[in-house]
Amino acid sequence: MPKQPDSLQGNLEFLVLKTLETDSQHGFGITQYIQTASDGLLRLEEGSLYPALHRMEKVRLIKGEWKVTKNGRRARYYKLTAAGRKRLLEVHEQWETLSKGIGKILRFA
Amino acid sequence: MIRRLLRRLFGRRLNDELEEELQFHIERRAELNRQEGMAPEEARLSARRQFGNALLIREETRRIHVSIFVDSTLQDIQHAARSLARAPMFTLVAVLSIALGVGATTAVFSVVDLILFRSLPYADDTRLVSVAMTAPVLPRPFLLGTDYLEWKRSQTPFEALTSSSGFRDCDVTESNPVRLRCAQLESTFLPTFGIQPQLGRTFTPEEDRRNAPKVVLISDGLWHSRFGASPAVLDKTISLDGQAQRIIGVLPKNFEMPTLQRADIVVPQALPEEQQVRPNSGRPLEGFARLKPGVTLEQARAALEPLFRESLKWIPPQFVNDVKLKVRSVRDVQVADSRRASWILLASVLAVLLVACANVANLLLARASSREREFAVRAALGAGRGRLIRQTFTESLLLAGTAGVLGCGLGYSLLRLLSAFAPDGIPRLTQAALDVRVLMLALASSVGSGLLVGLVPAFQSAKPETLAGWRTVSGRRTWMRPILVASQIAGSLVLLTSASLLLRSLWNLQAVPIGVRSDNVVTASLVLGAQQYAGPEMQVAFFEQIETRIASVPGVEFSAVADSVAPDPPALTTLLAHVQPDERERRVEGTGGAVSRREVTPRYFAALGIPIISGRAFTEADRVLSSERVVLSESLARFLFPNEDAVNKRIRVARGPDPNGHAVLEVIGVAANVKNSSLTEADLPEMYGVRKHGSNMSGIPLEVRRRVVLIVRSAIRTDVLADIIRSEVASLDTTVPVTIDTMAQKAAHLSDRPRFNALLLTLFASISLELAAIGIYGVVAFLVAQRTQEIGVRMAIGAQKQDIIRLVVGQAARWSLAGILVGLPASLYAGHLLHDLLFQVSQRDPRTFAVAVLLLAVTALIAAFIPSIRATRVDPVIALRRE
Repeated sequence: MPKQPDSLQGNLEFLVLKTLETDSQHGFGITQYIQTASDGLLRLEEGSLYPALHRMEKVRLIKGEWKVTKNGRRARYYKLTAAGRKRLLEVHEQWETLSKGIGKILRFA
Repeated sequence: MIRRLLRRLFGRRLNDELEEELQFHIERRAELNRQEGMAPEEARLSARRQFGNALLIREETRRIHVSIFVDSTLQDIQHAARSLARAPMFTLVAVLSIALGVGATTAVFSVVDLILFRSLPYADDTRLVSVAMTAPVLPRPFLLGTDYLEWKRSQTPFEALTSSSGFRDCDVTESNPVRLRCAQLESTFLPTFGIQPQLGRTFTPEEDRRNAPKVVLISDGLWHSRFGASPAVLDKTISLDGQAQRIIGVLPKNFEMPTLQRADIVVPQALPEEQQVRPNSGRPLEGFARLKPGVTLEQARAALEPLFRESLKWIPPQFVNDVKLKVRSVRDVQVADSRRASWILLASVLAVLLVACANVANLLLARASSREREFAVRAALGAGRGRLIRQTFTESLLLAGTAGVLGCGLGYSLLRLLSAFAPDGIPRLTQAALDVRVLMLALASSVGSGLLVGLVPAFQSAKPETLAGWRTVSGRRTWMRPILVASQIAGSLVLLTSASLLLRSLWNLQAVPIGVRSDNVVTASLVLGAQQYAGPEMQVAFFEQIETRIASVPGVEFSAVADSVAPDPPALTTLLAHVQPDERERRVEGTGGAVSRREVTPRYFAALGIPIISGRAFTEADRVLSSERVVLSESLARFLFPNEDAVNKRIRVARGPDPNGHAVLEVIGVAANVKNSSLTEADLPEMYGVRKHGSNMSGIPLEVRRRVVLIVRSAIRTDVLADIIRSEVASLDTTVPVTIDTMAQKAAHLSDRPRFNALLLTLFASISLELAAIGIYGVVAFLVAQRTQEIGVRMAIGAQKQDIIRLVVGQAARWSLAGILVGLPASLYAGHLLHDLLFQVSQRDPRTFAVAVLLLAVTALIAAFIPSIRATRVDPVIALRRE
């Protein structure tokens, strides 16, 4: 199993927001998406997603609701709130600036 | 512990949902693992591994939900509880102050609210008025015969004028016989009051006729007790006084008569039309009306004036001045006697609340000053101002919460106490329940006042010198404390003087001789059923039998039968103007008021211990039908025959329907005066007739004839005697209801109302006195503690113990003096308001005021003296070393 980057936990919020940008998803779906979209590079301890989800719901970045899946099971789906969308934009910009800056420094060095 | 409990309470749903959410994840993962080719068991284990420590995650997620708000609040509450527990005296006194203030205010307000403010159960009740004439001889306001019809035709200020002929007892004469109260109403009565039956309909004008088929409406209570609340009750018949009556409706649950008397059944009053059209005859009616919108009571009265003057033409000229027109709001009719007492109670309980508020403010202020250092330290350690304010706030709320619970219990007990001790006739007392709005308001005001001053230190920025512990006393807020103490003293003084004035009145009232001996006398009131004892012969026969039976009970000293007994008011009255000396005219101004008439057996005077001043009492020989003899009370004898002996004189008493018809009676004796109205009012003169052997009781209404009182003087124990009387009555007729009273109870009843007022005000005064004492003690003790260093210095440079005491007590004395100076004019004003309730004591009675001031001053000084003793124990060396 690839080692989980130290910074991953801190950036979990960003990853979740990004995952939910287009569509609402349940916790398991979010885990799967992060794994597949990063080509298996990013792997979380799956359970640790849930405290993060609940914390984000508490501060109203996302909103959870019970829905029925395609297989007819009950699951808790999360979707972005307006505040969540705004936060995603902010964090996105920060990331771009940061990675651009870091990229420049790396090239310069 | 608490936290876990809270979580358990709030977290049930959360737990289940979280569990389901996590479970879903693990199962999906296991499913995926299986699809990738793992064995089922392995797939599940692997899924769990990938998930991580489920227990930990569950716990962590749960905490997110609970902790954000609850945690810091719980922390505040724990901190507040600890800090209050560290100052138990402060906490106890503060909680008690708030609880007492809140409890008393709420209980009293809950009662007076129903009397003064609550809307009546009628549509648009403020426009309902009672319209009637009053005359001294009739106990109730009235309208007569044509007057009413004429007024109804010609009146302008009302939307509708309607009437009631009052109440009568009516007996259900079918299985389960029972005596009920029937209200006799005009057909327009219920519509005018906006009362809709909850079932069925009201009766029509056609049904309100003499010969119409009988219909009735029944009360909600009767509907439940007799008909099991069945909707099928409509069109059933109920037999009243031997006549079948059809039930056409059920009155609403909250139905009450405007006079607040109990009504089980409403029947059409069915006025005898031929009598109603003759002037000055017919049944006296009580008029009620609904004002047109925008018309005031005064305007209505003015508009009725011409009609009233027209009606006065039928009144004999000598009485005209005594007859008045009265237009009052229905609420006034209901609360007439209770209104003033209610306002006084309300004012006095607000005074208690004021004293309690001042107390709490004072205590919190003192506490706040002493915590300046604590707050400075905490601010220095990094507590934000918001957090400090929140801390103070939490503490106050905790105090308020505890006190609120306690106050609730106190209010409830006080309410029960009020109901238990209240005299009859306080409207709606039985409906009184604790008023939550008032509870909250009272709680908020006492805590709010404390909070206002309590928050001060939290708002102040920490000063280095405060932190260092030098000069912790800031001089800025010391002016507030004396003002608070002074206002407490002032409030207490008002309550104390008012209570003492009422207590002295009560004392005076109870010293009033009632004119009858109250020891060893038992009375028994009997009422014969209207059906079983229809004729006067049967009634007389029954009463004579019971008279003989009681007289022959061994151990009975004297027994008598009368239609009523002093100190109760008489069953019958006549106008003083209708009683004249036979030989010459004696002019009486107006009606001259009423004369009490009682029909008694010869031993009446002996049994009650009423002395015969001259002449003789009745003898058995006087009871023959032909005798026309009377005994007069001293006041009546003196009025009719001033400066001469009334015995053997003759008097003329109006009798019969003819205005000039009269009987000539011989005065055989003069009896001492007795109390017969109330303790405070002037007594009616009494004219006693003798109960004759026979049924010649013409001119006495049926209602009166069916009732008698047995008066028994005996050394037998009261309860035994009561049983004997009951069984003697039952041996003649088991259905006759008997009410037994001792004369001592009757006498005590007379001062019920004043006793109630005095009791309450005394209770409030003592509460506020205690609060004031506690307040002074607290403040002085606190100041002493703060001035320890100063006192140390003073002692070091040679001050004696008495100097220190003088210093400390002197300060408290100055505040108290200021409070007394402010309180005195307020007390005088309160005395002025109490004026009507006082009896034989001046509203400015100097002795009462002196005693109240002295009591208050002594209490204040003692409260200040105790902590001043502690001041003298200050060791200068220790005190100075603290600098």
